[in-house]
Amino acid sequence: MTKITSFLTPYKIAIMIALLLMLTELAVELVQPLIISYIIDQGIQQNNLSAVLMWGAVLVGCSLAAFAAGVTNSFYSSHVSQSFGFDIREALYKKVQEFSFSNFSVFPTSSLITRLTNDVTMLQNTVFMSLRIMMRAPLLVIGSVIMALLVNPMLALVLVISVPVLILFLLVIMSKAGNLFKSVQERLDHVNNVMQENLIGIRLIKAFLRGKHEMKRFHQSSEQLMDKTVSALRLIEVTMPVILLLMNLSILVILWYGTVEVNTGGASVGEVVAIVNYATRMTGALSIVTMIIMVFSRAKASNARISEVLNTDVDLYDQESSKSFMIKKGEVAFEHVSFTYPETSVKVLDDLSFTVKAGERVSVLGGTGSGKSTIFQLIPRLYDVNEGAVKIDDQSVHEMTLKNLRSQIGFVPQEAMLFTGTIQENIKWGNEQATFEEVQEAAQRAQIHDTIMSLPKQYDTILGQKGVNLSGGQKQRLSIARALVKKPVILLLDDSTSALDMKTETKLLNALEELSCTTIMITQKISTTMASDRVLLIEDGKLLDEGSHEELVKTSDLYRKIVESQAGKEALPYAE
Amino acid sequence: MLNEIKRPFRYKRRTLEELDESAAGTKKRKADDFAGTVKKIWRYLSMNKGKLYLVLLMVFISSAMALLGPFLVGMAIDDYIVNGDADGLIQLIWLLAVVYIIYSLSMWFQAMWMVRIAQQTVFTMRTQLFNHLQKLPIPFFDKRQHGELMSRVTNDMENVSSTLNSSVIQIVSSVLTLVGTVGVMLYLSPLLTLITVLVIPAMVLGLKWITKRTGRLFKEQQRNLGELNGYIQETLSGQRIIKTFSQEDRVIHQFEEKNEKLRLAGFWAQTFSGFIPKLMNFLNNLSFAVIALVGGVLALNGQVTIGVIVIFVEYSRQFTRPLNDLANQFNTLLSAVAGAERVFDIMSESEERKDEKDAKELETLEGHVAFKNVSFSYEEDEMILRDISFAASPGETIALVGPTGAGKTTIINLLSRFYNPTGGKVYIDGTDLTKIKRSSLRSHMAFVLQDSILFQGTIRENIRYGRLNASDQEVEKAADMANAGSFINKMPDGYDTVLKADGEGISQGQRQLLAIARAMLADPDLLILDEATSSIDTVTEIKIQEALEVLMKGRTSFVIAHRLNTIQSADQILVLNNGQLIEQGNHEELLQQNGFYADLQRGQLKEQLLG
Repeated sequence: MTKITSFLTPYKIAIMIALLLMLTELAVELVQPLIISYIIDQGIQQNNLSAVLMWGAVLVGCSLAAFAAGVTNSFYSSHVSQSFGFDIREALYKKVQEFSFSNFSVFPTSSLITRLTNDVTMLQNTVFMSLRIMMRAPLLVIGSVIMALLVNPMLALVLVISVPVLILFLLVIMSKAGNLFKSVQERLDHVNNVMQENLIGIRLIKAFLRGKHEMKRFHQSSEQLMDKTVSALRLIEVTMPVILLLMNLSILVILWYGTVEVNTGGASVGEVVAIVNYATRMTGALSIVTMIIMVFSRAKASNARISEVLNTDVDLYDQESSKSFMIKKGEVAFEHVSFTYPETSVKVLDDLSFTVKAGERVSVLGGTGSGKSTIFQLIPRLYDVNEGAVKIDDQSVHEMTLKNLRSQIGFVPQEAMLFTGTIQENIKWGNEQATFEEVQEAAQRAQIHDTIMSLPKQYDTILGQKGVNLSGGQKQRLSIARALVKKPVILLLDDSTSALDMKTETKLLNALEELSCTTIMITQKISTTMASDRVLLIEDGKLLDEGSHEELVKTSDLYRKIVESQAGKEALPYAE
Repeated sequence: MLNEIKRPFRYKRRTLEELDESAAGTKKRKADDFAGTVKKIWRYLSMNKGKLYLVLLMVFISSAMALLGPFLVGMAIDDYIVNGDADGLIQLIWLLAVVYIIYSLSMWFQAMWMVRIAQQTVFTMRTQLFNHLQKLPIPFFDKRQHGELMSRVTNDMENVSSTLNSSVIQIVSSVLTLVGTVGVMLYLSPLLTLITVLVIPAMVLGLKWITKRTGRLFKEQQRNLGELNGYIQETLSGQRIIKTFSQEDRVIHQFEEKNEKLRLAGFWAQTFSGFIPKLMNFLNNLSFAVIALVGGVLALNGQVTIGVIVIFVEYSRQFTRPLNDLANQFNTLLSAVAGAERVFDIMSESEERKDEKDAKELETLEGHVAFKNVSFSYEEDEMILRDISFAASPGETIALVGPTGAGKTTIINLLSRFYNPTGGKVYIDGTDLTKIKRSSLRSHMAFVLQDSILFQGTIRENIRYGRLNASDQEVEKAADMANAGSFINKMPDGYDTVLKADGEGISQGQRQLLAIARAMLADPDLLILDEATSSIDTVTEIKIQEALEVLMKGRTSFVIAHRLNTIQSADQILVLNNGQLIEQGNHEELLQQNGFYADLQRGQLKEQLLG
C-alpha cells in the first residue's frame, strides 16, 4: 500500500494522538489487576477500610480516564478515517476528470463508480479500525510471548514455535484472500454495470418485453458475485478455527510438558498456570487478528483498484510549451489528418484535409461511420490526431492549453446530455458568469425561450436525470443554448437539429446568422446544407467533394441523390 | 499543529431535529421502522431455515465447548499437575484434544454455512430488488438519478452483506455466554451478581442515547453516499460535455460539496458508534471497581472470601464481554438496517399498475388504433395532450407532425402504455387498451426509440434482443434488411464484435441501424418509429426507406418523422400543436386546407428556396 498510505500523512498528528489515546486505554486495562491486588493486599488483608476506599477511588478514576481517552479517540479516529476517505474520493474524482476518452475506454463508468464509493469505504473502515483496535491485538500477542518467556523460557518455547507458524499461515491466507476479494469487487462492478444498463434502457426493455431476460442476466451476475463472496469469506473463516485449534493444542502441550517439568522440578505449578493464562489471552488476541486479516485483505483489493485509477497515465495533457491563445478569426484547418480510435484498428480519418474560413458556415455530410463525428472530437482535442494537424487560426490545437482551447469553442453534441439542476443552471454550464439576460438571449437564439416561459417555473424548472421531462427536440435546443451562452468563436453542431421540426430549425439557423462565429454543422438534412455557405461530403474518412449546395447539385451524383431522397424530385428544379 | 489537534472537534454539530428534517426531505417514514426492517431481513434469512438451525446448533456446541475447555484445563491443573499424576493427565489431555477439535470443527461448520446463508440472503434481496425495478412504471425512472439507484444495489446491499455474515453468530453466542455466566455468578454470590447486573440499565440508557443518533446518522450517511454515487454517475456519463465546456473545476467543486456532506455524516456516525465499545468498557471497569469496593467492604465484615472476589472480578469481565460484543453488533446492525431500509424503500414502491382483472391476451392484432377524447398531464397544471381523437386502420402509416413539445412522443407513450391517459380512452382493434394485458400488447409491437440503446454484448446479441429465439440466419437477415449487414461485416469480428457498455467505437447512425434491425427481427404488427430516421445518413436512408416500406407493409405504423418524403407518403398525417390535434388528413388534403400544415410546408420550401 505504497501510494494510498501517503493520503494519511496530513493526519500524522491526529493519528499519533489517536494511537496514544488507545495506548492509554490499554495501560489502564493492564493496571487494573494491579490495583485490585492492592485492594486485597493493603485493604482487606490489613483490615484497612480507608485503603480499600482509596484504591477503589483510584480504580474509578482510572476507568473515567480510560473512558475519556476512548471517547476522544473516537473523535480522532473518525476524523482521520473520514478525511482520508474524503481525500481519496476527491483525488480519484479529480484524476477521472483529467482522463482522456481513451482512458475512459479502459475503465467503464460503472467500475469507476464502485471504485469511488464502495472501494473507498472499505479503505476508510480499515483505517478506522486500525486506529482503534489493530495495534492492540499484535501488542497483546507480543507482550504475552515476552511475559511467558520471562516466566519460564522452556515452557514458553512451545509458543515461540506456534506463534510464527500461525503468523505465516495468516499471511498466506491474507495474500490469497486479497486476490479473491479483488474478484469480488470485479463482480460487484459487473452487477453495477447490468444495473446501469437497465436504468438507461428501461424504456426499451419494457417495449421489447425483455424484463425476464434482463432478470436472468442480473440473476447470473448477482449469483457470480455471491459465489465469489462466499469463496472469499469461506477462506477467511477457516483462519479462526485453525488458530483456535493450534493455540489450544499448544496449551495441551504446555500442560503435558508442564507436568513433566513439575515432576522433575524444572517448573512450578504457578508458572504452568501463568503460561497457560498467557496462551489463552493470545488466543483471544489472535481471533481479533483474524478479523483484521479479513479487513486488510479486502482493503488490499480495494487499494489495488484505487491505485489503478490514480496511477493511470493520462495520455492527453497540456504540453509545457502549450500556451493560451485568443482565437480571433476562427479559421479551422485539417492538414493531412489521420486518426484511429485507441484500441481499434480501423482508420476513421485518412489523410483528411480541408479548411473552414473565419465566419463561414459549413455543413458536413456523409455516410454513417464516415468519420464526421470524429472530426468534431478532434477540434476541441478530445483525442489527439495520429498524423497531421488540426489548426485554428494557423495554430495547432496541440499547442494550446486544453482549457483555453475548449473555452472558445461552442460544442453541441449529438446526444443532448443535460444535468440535474434548473434550466438556468444547465444553460449557465456554458458560461458561469453569464447574466440572466445573456442566458435569456442564448435561449431565444436557440428557439427555446418561449417553451421555457410556458413552463410553470420557467428558468427555474428542475430537470431530472438527463432532463427526461423534456422532449428530444427541447433537450437539443437547450444544449444549443448552453453552447451559445459561451459566445463562442467556433460553433460545432453535431447533428444537433435532428429532432427539430423544419420551422424551428429554420428560425434557429436564422438566429445563428446574427452571431459572427465560424459554424460547422454535421447534418443529414438538405434544409441545413442549403442554409450553409459550403458543404463537405465525407466518405470513409476522406473528403469526397466540397462546394455550395448549388455547385454540388450540379457536380455530385451522390449529393443529387440525397436531395432527391429528401425533398423529392420536384425540389431540384426549385433549387436550381 | 494546534489546528490539527482541534480539527476533530470542529465538525458541524448535527442535532436530532436537523437529521430528522433532512431525512423527511427524501421520504416520510415511521420512527419505529427499525423493528419492521429487522423483521423483513429476518424473513429473508429464514428462507434458509434448515441451514440456519444447523448453524444455531453449531453455535450451541461451540459455546458449550468454549466453556468446557477452560473448565477441564482448571481440572488438569488442580487435580493432576499439582499432584504430579502424569497418567491421569494424559487421559485428560486426550479428552481435551477431542473437545478442542469439536470446538474448531463446529466453528468451522457454522462459519461455512453462515457465509452461504448470508450471501444467499443478500443475493435474494438484490435480485428481488432488481426484479421489482423491472416492474416499476416508467415515471418512477424518469424521476430518479440512475447512480442513486445503483448505490442501493451495491453500497447498501454490501452493507447488509458484511453485517449478516458475522452478526447472527455473534449475537447468538453472546446471549448463550451471557446466560451461562450469570448462572455461575448467581451460584457464587447473589448480592455481587446483583451489583454486576446493575450495569445493564446504565448500559441500556447509554446505548439508547447513542443509537438514537447513530441510527439516523447511518441513514444520512447512506443517503449522502447514494447522492454522491448519483453525481459521479451523471458527471461520468456527461464527460463529453464537461470536457468540451472545460467545466472540470466546476464539477470538482460540486463533487467536493457532496463529498463534504458525506464526510460530515460519516464522521458523526463513526464517532458516535465508536462510543459504544468505550462505554461498555467504562461500565465494565466501573463494575470492576464497585465489585472490588463492595467486595472489599463485605470481606472486611467476613461475609465473603477473597477468593470469591477474585473469581467475581474475572466473571464480571466474562459477563461484560458478550454484552460488549452485543453492543458492537447492534451498531453494525444499525448501519446494515440503514442500508436495508433504503432497499426496502424501493421494494415498497408500487409496481406498474397491474393489468385489469378482465384484461385479456391479444391473440392477433389487426391494427385498428383509435384515440377517443384522450387527455394527458404529468402534473395537474400542465396539460400535455388535450382531447385527442383519431382512428387508424390496419396497414396505415400515421405520421405525427408538429413543433417540438407538441405531444407527439406522448401519443407514442400512451399507445404503448408507458403512461396511462388521464382522460379519454385508447382502443386497439376496438378493445380498450386497459383491457389488454401489457405484455400481450407489447409483444405485438416493435419500437425504434429516440435513443438507440445498446447493451454490453455482441452485435448479434443486441439484434437478437428483438426476438430472443431467432436463429443466427434470421438475425443476419434482419440486419441485411436494415442495411446494417454491410457495416457489421466490415467490423473485425463481424456479428461477434463486442460492443462496450456505452457503445463506443460505433457511430450514432450505426446504432440506429442496429435498432432498426432489432425491430425488423421482432416482426411486429404495430410499428413505432420515434424520430428513428433522423440521424441516419441520407445515403443509407434511401435503402432504409425501402426496407421500412417492406416492414411497414401490412402493419399499422406510427412515425414521428421530419422527412418530407415520409410525411408525404403517409396515409394520415396528424398535425399537433400545444397538445392539441389541429389538423388531420393526407398531404394533399392538408395542403388544400391551407392551415398550419400548409404553413409548415411553405415555411420549409421557402427556406429551401432562399437557402
